Amino acid sequence: MANEDVKVGRQAEEDKGALGDSRPGTIKFLTGLGAAAHALRMADIDVASSYPIRPYTGVMMMLSMMAARGELDLEFVHGEGEHGQLGIAHGASSAGARAMTGSSGVGVVYAMEVYSPISGGRCPVQMVIADRTLDPPGDFGSEHTDALSTRDQGWMLGWAHTPQEVFDNTLMYYRIGEDPRVYLPQMNCQDGYFISHIPQRVVVPTQEEVNSFLPPLEFPDALDPLNPLGHGPQIFPGQGHVLEATRVNAMMGTFPVIDEVVNDFNKRFGTSYDPFVEQYKCSDAEYVIFISGGHAFTGKFAVDHMREKGMKIGLVRTRWVRPWPTDYLADILSKFKAIGVVETNNSFGAARQCGILTLEVATTLYQCDNKPVLTAFMAGLGGEVIRLDEFYYMGDVLKDAAAKGSTERTAYWIGFHNV
Amino acid sequence: MKTRFKKYTVEIPEEMAIPFAGIVESPKPNGEQPMMLTGGWRIYRPVIDSEKCVMCKSCVLACPDATVLLVDGGNKIGFNLDYCKGCGLCTWVCPVNAIDRVPELDFEDGVPFQDALFLLPHVEALYAD
Amino acid sequence: MTTLLEEQVQAKVDLPLLANIHQAVELDEYYVMGHRTCAGCGPALSYRLACKAAGPNSIFLGPTGCMYVANTSYLCVPWAVPWMHTQITDAGAVVSGISAAYEARIRKGKYKGTFPNIYVFAGDGGSSDIGIQAASAMMYRDHDAIFICYDNECYSNTGIQTSAQTPYGAWTTFTPPGPKIPEAKKLFPKDFARGMIALHPAMQYAAAASISYPVDYMNKVRKAANIHGAALVHVHAICPKGWGLRANQVLLCGKLAVETGTFHLFEYENGEYTYQYQPKAFKPVTEYLKIQDRFAHLKPEHHQKIQEFINQGLKRCGIKIPVEAV
Ligand SMILES: Cc1ncc(C[n+]2csc(CCOP(=O)(O)OP(=O)(O)O)c2C)c(N)n1
Ligand code: SF4
Ligand code: SF4
Ligand code: SF4
Ligand SMILES: [Mg+2]
Repeated sequence: MANEDVKVGRQAEEDKGALGDSRPGTIKFLTGLGAAAHALRMADIDVASSYPIRPYTGVMMMLSMMAARGELDLEFVHGEGEHGQLGIAHGASSAGARAMTGSSGVGVVYAMEVYSPISGGRCPVQMVIADRTLDPPGDFGSEHTDALSTRDQGWMLGWAHTPQEVFDNTLMYYRIGEDPRVYLPQMNCQDGYFISHIPQRVVVPTQEEVNSFLPPLEFPDALDPLNPLGHGPQIFPGQGHVLEATRVNAMMGTFPVIDEVVNDFNKRFGTSYDPFVEQYKCSDAEYVIFISGGHAFTGKFAVDHMREKGMKIGLVRTRWVRPWPTDYLADILSKFKAIGVVETNNSFGAARQCGILTLEVATTLYQCDNKPVLTAFMAGLGGEVIRLDEFYYMGDVLKDAAAKGSTERTAYWIGFHNV
Repeated sequence: MKTRFKKYTVEIPEEMAIPFAGIVESPKPNGEQPMMLTGGWRIYRPVIDSEKCVMCKSCVLACPDATVLLVDGGNKIGFNLDYCKGCGLCTWVCPVNAIDRVPELDFEDGVPFQDALFLLPHVEALYAD
Repeated sequence: MTTLLEEQVQAKVDLPLLANIHQAVELDEYYVMGHRTCAGCGPALSYRLACKAAGPNSIFLGPTGCMYVANTSYLCVPWAVPWMHTQITDAGAVVSGISAAYEARIRKGKYKGTFPNIYVFAGDGGSSDIGIQAASAMMYRDHDAIFICYDNECYSNTGIQTSAQTPYGAWTTFTPPGPKIPEAKKLFPKDFARGMIALHPAMQYAAAASISYPVDYMNKVRKAANIHGAALVHVHAICPKGWGLRANQVLLCGKLAVETGTFHLFEYENGEYTYQYQPKAFKPVTEYLKIQDRFAHLKPEHHQKIQEFINQGLKRCGIKIPVEAV
């Protein structure tokens, strides 16, 4: 844990969205993976299942070290692959344990079969994902297509954009997923390298504070010889759609719980998270960058700079992809003249050859009276950095779109059109 | 704001409700699962000749469906005909031929059956000529 | 006040071995009547005997296969102990997770009962083919759990397709005989149990059993349960539908498999094999093949080839018992 508690001269820019002005706690200098590991330790997880793949591996290395040092009483199970990892987490959770696993890139999709049984079994497993581009070829860079390709499997799914938010999300996700009104697994995502490997300031609360926020898991239907139950028999032909409907209701029923839990977190820890969507400099904005994940960090700097030049730009960052906060986003986004969705993922042959998020944003806006101009920015693909000047380019495109009421392209490939 | 999600949920009529996560109650030990009555599958009914029976209990252990019962205070063999599928394994395993297989339609409460044994397609072809 | 169930579950003592069939019959049924397996289903019988041997302090896992689909159609289960479906692929992983969960929860004081016996009940497909990776991992990691492979020598539930344990010469819907391929299946099957033993040298206990020898099988299940660590039981479970047998021939067929040396009853303990069936001579395999419709198309030369495979197997396993001439 070389990156822990490092004294450095320069502190990372404090993020007002994640850090309140007077947030109490110990300050550590942690990567996104380190932040996840510390939060998992404080959540007193019972079972972790591992398999190595860059870049998420570090969280497992840290957990195994914490277990070896006796800082965390953990069953650390070496999976035989990601499919096995998810199976182990499934079993552990259905036996009433607080379970976690994690992966990246091809590992995330190798486990694809098992996501739906876990969410359908309503097991509140947490999976830490540090994104990685899918093969071919071997490419270590961060791209969200790995986790996004599981979006239809019934898991809650959201991205943090700082190590602090990773830490906080880890605790909030467990509390939401384990709420008796919910019981759903959660994918706690962070960008590979940009978040997973760059240390930043993280405020770590005390164990007592965490305990009072996150009570131990109570899973009433756990596999237990003292309470014999049958889990997952075949259903009658006329019941398939009913089971699906209950799963939809479980996912949609997370909204009030998310609202409640995030507000409770803010109250206890002095933070100011919006439960669903962060709006950065949006109050008078005419056009916005829509984004999910770690590139929002750079995006906010870019917005600051563009604002200094007098541009009426803002940034909207969704904290959730599943459930998709439709109404919240419709209210927020329909006010603007133009929206550019930073994709960081790819869907080959998608409508207008944009990425996955534009499809969701377009559907969200379709019901609104005011329909802003909508375009996609295919950026960060293959794990490329999105540079400040590239955000400026996006800003120029959006400014132009807001003025003209249209864009030249349905999707702008960053790194091509802007050179 | 808090209730707006409701329009995306599905109202499930009570009569269509399904248990949480499809988790169901287990039957009791030595009990039965009445949602799956299988006695109607039977073509031949096992009939015990208690005179012949030597109570070796081989038939009890041989039944895939646990429908060979110890009755009469554990002194005799009986059958649960609500579930017995008529496979004939109890008859086969009996060392003293105490269990007869009687066509189901010989009984007044006998169950109707189809007169076709399962044959593999290529074997059926061999018989077809 | 503790209930009887709580008492039975909490007093975790080793399951005693059964001296005879009468003791076996006295045990309670935990796989009860009321399931849609075919009449005479060998895997169903193997399930019933395993549950009877296992007793109340048990959890069973059912990967997809006949013993999932036919047992739980629809929205009900025939098990009086906790049971959970797993994917056909990952029963070994799920059982590992459950075992780890109980280790952690008991150690941390989060569960007050005793450690349960946790069983996987997987078909040959779910064990030796698509499920082999997870099965092997569970044995390698030595989780306190029992892996039972009910071997009906095919993918039954999907309509009798060849699996890695379907024997040479067998008809299946993926290996039909025809003028170009007269012997139907051309490949020889895996030796799953011995393969797993070889692959996991630290495994303490493994056994091969047959539904035609029920007390021997139940004792093997009990021994496997009493081991602290991973254990394997491979049970020959005849499928009348897939093998072309009348329902009442199932136990005869299982017996002939053993009597011809096609299926060996063995135990592997302390690094040594012991064989439970020791005749003066094994019967020729033809006696086993001729009662099964799935072998009806075979010619004498194919019978000969199968006999040679069996003879080789006996030799490889160091079983020095001759085979009767036809
Ligand atoms: C990943 C996956 N592939 C294929 C199937 C289809 N499938 C359902 S049951 C089954 C057969 C299982 O065979 P086996 O494990 O031998 O059990 P049996 O049906 O013979 O009892 C298969 C292949 C599946 N359920 N999941
Ligand atoms: S005929 Fe078959 S199902 Fe019926 S009692 Fe005998 S063994 Fe059991
Ligand atoms: S097998 Fe025959 S002799 Fe033995 S108990 Fe059954 S009926 Fe009686
Ligand atoms: S097909 Fe075979 S294994 Fe499946 S239920 Fe029927 S007899 Fe049993
Ligand atoms: Mg099979």
